[in-house]
Order: sequence, then structure tokens, then C-alpha cells
Amino acid sequence: MMLARVADSLYWIGRYVERAEHMCRLADVLLNSTLDRTESSGQVARMVVSAISDGDPRFEVSPWDAAVAITMDSEEGDSVTAALARARENARQVRDQLTTETWERLNLIYLRVTGPAAPREFSDAPSQFLHDIIADLHLFKGAADATMSHGEGWGFLQLGVFIERAQLTGRLLQAGFGRSLGRPVTEHAAMTALLRMSCALEPYLRKHTADIQPRLIRQFLMFDEDFPRSLRFTTARIEEHLSGVGRNVDLGGAAGPERLAGRLKARFQYAEAETLTAEDSDLLVATVLEECARLHAGIYENFVAYSLEMRLPA
Amino acid sequence: MRYALADAMQGAGATVHAEAPYDEMVDPSGEVRPHYAALARRVASLSDEDLAERQRLLERFFLLQGITFTVYGAESSTERIIPTDLLPRIIPAEEWATIEAGLVQRLRALNMFLADVYSDQKILMDGVVPRELVLGAPSYRREMQDLFVPHQAYANVCGSDLIRKPDGGFAVLEDNLRVPSGVSYMLANREAAKRTFPGSFRLAGVRRIEQYPDLLLSTLRSMAADWRPNPQVVVLTPGVYNSAYFEHAYLARLMGVPLVEGRDLVTHDNMVYMRTTTGLRRVDVIYRRVDDDFIDPLTFRRDSSLGVAGLFNAYRGGNVVICNAPGTGVADDKAVYAYVPEIISYYLGEDAILPNIETYLCREPSQLSHVLANLDKLVVKAVGASGGYGMLVGPHASRAERESFAEALSANPDNYIAQPTIQLSTAPCLIDGAVDPRHVDLRPFILSGDKIRVTPGALTRVALRKGSLVVNSSQGGGSKDTWVLGAGEQGDHAP
Repeated sequence: MMLARVADSLYWIGRYVERAEHMCRLADVLLNSTLDRTESSGQVARMVVSAISDGDPRFEVSPWDAAVAITMDSEEGDSVTAALARARENARQVRDQLTTETWERLNLIYLRVTGPAAPREFSDAPSQFLHDIIADLHLFKGAADATMSHGEGWGFLQLGVFIERAQLTGRLLQAGFGRSLGRPVTEHAAMTALLRMSCALEPYLRKHTADIQPRLIRQFLMFDEDFPRSLRFTTARIEEHLSGVGRNVDLGGAAGPERLAGRLKARFQYAEAETLTAEDSDLLVATVLEECARLHAGIYENFVAYSLEMRLPA
Repeated sequence: MRYALADAMQGAGATVHAEAPYDEMVDPSGEVRPHYAALARRVASLSDEDLAERQRLLERFFLLQGITFTVYGAESSTERIIPTDLLPRIIPAEEWATIEAGLVQRLRALNMFLADVYSDQKILMDGVVPRELVLGAPSYRREMQDLFVPHQAYANVCGSDLIRKPDGGFAVLEDNLRVPSGVSYMLANREAAKRTFPGSFRLAGVRRIEQYPDLLLSTLRSMAADWRPNPQVVVLTPGVYNSAYFEHAYLARLMGVPLVEGRDLVTHDNMVYMRTTTGLRRVDVIYRRVDDDFIDPLTFRRDSSLGVAGLFNAYRGGNVVICNAPGTGVADDKAVYAYVPEIISYYLGEDAILPNIETYLCREPSQLSHVLANLDKLVVKAVGASGGYGMLVGPHASRAERESFAEALSANPDNYIAQPTIQLSTAPCLIDGAVDPRHVDLRPFILSGDKIRVTPGALTRVALRKGSLVVNSSQGGGSKDTWVLGAGEQGDHAP
């Protein structure tokens, strides 16, 4: 049993925390790979910009300015600071549902990135700054995993994490290989950067060795069963957590978002990954993004903003 | 450090005159009182750096826990912690025994008073308390008339403000029977003190206060109807922007009950439900931290979005319990306050154990003229106001301020009471790295349900500005941990 508003907040904490971590990695890779002026650095910059915006002019600037905007733009924009502020604001609203250990981690990160010293720390050593945030976010997730009950609240937190993650990986795939956006990445350095942005470089190398090819990267980020950021892995987790939280809901026969999640999971579980053409991959990624948006809306309608008529006590 | 401490003691000892404040640590001859001896030795043995480090630890604890309030600026907002003092305030066992007995007596009488005022009104018939004073008070709720309240426990949570007078005796300055706050600071101060002074703490024989959330939950459960064997208790908060939000979340978490906002609750067929992920779930007891005016837009203020439409009807129907009951404010009204000793003797046939502060009711012509003649010595308060608003502190006000206040007072005397300016007692505080006495008050918390429960501890509020008597956190006040010693403990052990 959990308040609908609380479930919603936990879901958003999951989303924002995941988003903040992802944007830290994007900013870090962007700064790193644009140190030298080569064709690949241009590809990386283009990829990052299209992964986080739909041609937002705020990011059509020098890599440094783009990294600053990604990291600590005002709380209005889509930035690491904004995501963390929102995660923390949501956490404050459900403070009674989080363990103290979990809350402290998130609060600490927030205080650091919004503190007066943050802009200087970022400009002095951006990589270190971003790396520390990522490490702190891992501590947050670890504290949550180790101290929170893995019940309903946990389920909503994880749903937020994995829906956000599936969308982020999907967008990254579109930015890197999507035909609609033109000019897929080809440079070796750019492909490595793409793997870095999804935290996949080391797992990829272990699986495919240093044989870096667009086809294999795509296959890995979409269909790998064990890599925690692949679409297959994330959609399986979405299905798992959604059926967990939906167990006690009586929808009076109507289909809930579980059906959608199950179908999405099956698309990846039974896909013919080895023979999928680039065009079909694009279509599949687009489907994932659409269905995640529908899942997002479905969760809100079924668990949070449901109509009272349906649920009044008999 | 030792010298600074000695200076503080000397200072307190040397300036004894008629109205010198009572010093919690040092007696008039300059000797450290026995229950403070261990702490004084411990503090004296620490270097300035040690003390500063402990103060930092303390502040970090509050910051990490998010026990903060937000200061909104033009560009950005920053979060500050409520100032917290490192050095605990210590109350010996026998003094606490008197305080506790006095608080229990007072709350019993006030609950009986409320039950009477909202039913037969015997006390008004007998002329003990003026009828118009009660029925004309803005906090009087006609809607509560003849409504059944279990155990006649109207004020389930009470936080009374006590002060220690120069003669060493405690007196009640104010009762808070509506939605008293501050108990989370009592608990958080203790949690912090255990980290900063672990050794002294263990040895001093301090009584536990950590049971407060359990006692609160038992109290709230005892208010539920008998036929609801496993009552669902919730804490109702105005929301995250309320300055006491931390406390609401803290209590809900420690009691293990949901923290709800008005929008989480719905009423249907005179029952109250909360919206959960799996549907609606019945609510039995609401520990509301929302003022009377805002709990139900259908019954009270229509423009309130903090409450629940239909809540009061569900309450009238006996399907939900609201704690504290609406309308308790009539018993902590500043004018009714003056009658509390009479109220106690009327219902209990006892003398008040904890005295009131002498109070002049400006509605009485003879008392009004006395007040007007002595404005420079008195504190004048508006009856309906709280939080230090609508108040004149005579000795600190300018002539012009006093004159304009006198006009307002003469125009509407019913609205004012006056009290002599009391020198609050002082307790040692760590100010800019040195130990220096500051004025303090004491807010213990009393619970009443099937029985009255007092937690042996309190919130000690501190006026951090030197010489200031204002302890409100909105006006430069802070707080500190309060140690109530167990019987047989003198606090005089080697720390």
C-alpha cells in the first residue's frame, strides 16, 4: 500500500537520477573527445547535441559552453544540476518513504552541485567534478538498494530509472546511427565515444574485443542480455517492475500498462538480432521511444491519476 | 577555554541585582550547580578547536539530514540550518518532577474545560470564566458543540512554553493546543548531541526521549473508534513549502505512517480515504498539522486548498478522528490564559502546580489604566495573534512606538493583554567559540489520549543575540538539546 502521489515522486526520483548520471557522462565525453580538432571530435559534438536536444540552439556553441550548459545550466533547463534539484525536491516530498541513508546521499550530492564552490570546481577540473557526481549517484543507488525495502516504492523508483534509461539509450542510438539525422558516426574515436557515453566501452570490449564496428555496437546496445544499459536489459526490467507494482491493482478487466511492457520486452527477447538490417534497427529504436512514452503515461493513469469512479469502495 | 568559562561564571555571579536572571549553570555565589558540574568540567577540558570541531559536526548533521529552512533570494535560494547550540541545557530530576506534575494537571484541566465549553458550558454558567471571552474568541468553533471526542482528549498534542523566573521557579508563559511544533528539533538535537558529546551523555544519566514517536502513535491510535481494531493513522501536512515540513515528514517516518497532503485524501459517504496506487484506502485518525481554518473548505475557509472537502462531516459522523480536535484554540487564547489557575481549581479542586505569569486583561477598565500608565515596563500582546506579531515590548520600544500602541490599545482594549517583562533564565551557550550565557525558555511536549503522556525532555529555545529575550526562530532564535536527569543522578560523574 502506498500513496499515489508518493509512488509518482519515487518514479520521478528514479528518472531524474538516471538522467543526471547520463548527462554527466555526455558532458565528460564531450569535453574529452573534443580536445583535439579532428573529424571525430566534430562527430562527437554533433552526436551529443542531438542526443540531448532537438536542435536546441543553446547547445550549438563551443564544446566547452555546451558542456557547461549540460552540467549546470539554471534550474529551468535540462541540465545535471536541474535534474538533481528536481530529484531532491521530489525526495523531500516523500522524505518519510526514503531511508535516511538514501536521503543523505542524494541531499549531499545536491548540496555539492548547487553549492557556491561548484562553478569553480567545475571550471578547474571538469572531468573530476563530473566523475565525482557519477560516483556519488552510484553511492545513492547502492544505498537505496541496500537499505530500502524492495517493495512497491522500490518498484516505482526502478521503473523511473529503467524507463528513463531505455529512452536515453534509444536517443543515443538515434544520434549515433539514425538515418533520419544523417551522417552516422564512422570514425573510430567517435564510436568509442558513443560507447563511453553509455558506459559500455569496457563491457563491449570484453564481449567483442577491440573490433569496433557500427553493426556490433548497435547489436550490443540493443540486444545484449546482460549489459545493464542495453534496450533488451532495460525493457526486461521495466516489465519485471511493472508487473511487481501492478500485482494488487484491480482494473476491472481493462488492460494495464503491463501488456505494453510485456510486448516490448518480447520484441527484444525474440528479435533476430544478427540479421536485423540498419533500417529495421532504426524502426525498432523508434518503437522503443514511442512505447516508453506510452508506458510513462500509462503508469500515471493507472497508479496515480486514476479516476475515482473506478475505485470507489463497493 | 577554562578562562572564558570562568569569566562567564564570574560575569553571571558578579552582576546580581534584584531582577538578575536565573543562571541555569551557576548559582549566585559563582559556584557551578551540581547537575552542571560534569558538563562544565568536560567543556573546560576541551580546547577551542575541539569545541569548534564539535560545533561543525553538529551543523553538518543538521545539513545532511535536511533539517533546514529555505531563504529565498532574488536569483537563487539557499538553505540554512536552524541555529543549534552545542551545549545542552540540564534539568535535575526533582525539578522535572514538578514540571511534569504541573503539565499533566494543566492539560487535564484544559481538556475538561474544552469538553465543558463545547457541551454544557457549566463553567460559563458559574461565571468562572466570562462567557463573551470564550464564545467571542475567534478560535471558538461553534461546529464542535456537542460533538463526541474520545476520552475528552481535545488537545492530543500540547507544547507549553515555560520560563524560569529570576527566583528559580518555572512558570507557564503560553499553552499551545492547536498545532504545536518543535518536537522534531527536540529529537534531532538529541540525536546530534549523542554524536557530539557521547561520553558525557552516557555518564550523566540522561533520560530517554526517543520513545516520543511511539507514544504519539499510541496516543493517536487510542483516539480511534473501538470497532476499528487496526486503525489507519496518517499525518496531514500542508506540504513541502511549510516551514515545519521537515517535522511532519520526520514524525510520519518514525511512526511508520503515511504523510499525506489534502489532495491525497477524498471523502465519500462520510468516510475519509487516501488515494493509494491500488485504489482508495480508509483513514481512521488524522494527525493534522494544518490549522483549523484550512482543514475543510466546506466547513471553514472556502479558499483553502490545503484541506479535504467533507472532512468535518466525516468527523461529525464519527468515521474519522481529527487530532488535535478543531476548536482547541479557545483554551490557549491569551485572554483565557489568565483564567487557567481558576480553571484548574474549578475542575480539579487543586491549586495550579505551575503558576501563570501575572496577566492584565485590558478589557477590565481598572487593569487597562494600569497598563497604560506602565507601558514602558510591560509586554502587551494582541489576544488572537501569535509568533510575536501584534506585540509591544515596552522596555525596548521607543516613546513614539509606545504612544501609537497606546492608541490602538485604547481603541480596542478587549483585544489586548499585558504582562510584566520577565527576565528569562540564562544557560551557557557556545557563541563565536566562547562560552557565554544566553536567555532560554523551555517547551516540553505533552500527549493526551486514553491517558496523558509526558516525554522527559523538551525543546530549549535560545535567544542567540546577547541580552535578547526573543527566542522565536524567525527572530534570531536557536535551540539546544535538553537533558532531563534520572532520579538519583546528580550528573556529577567524571565524564
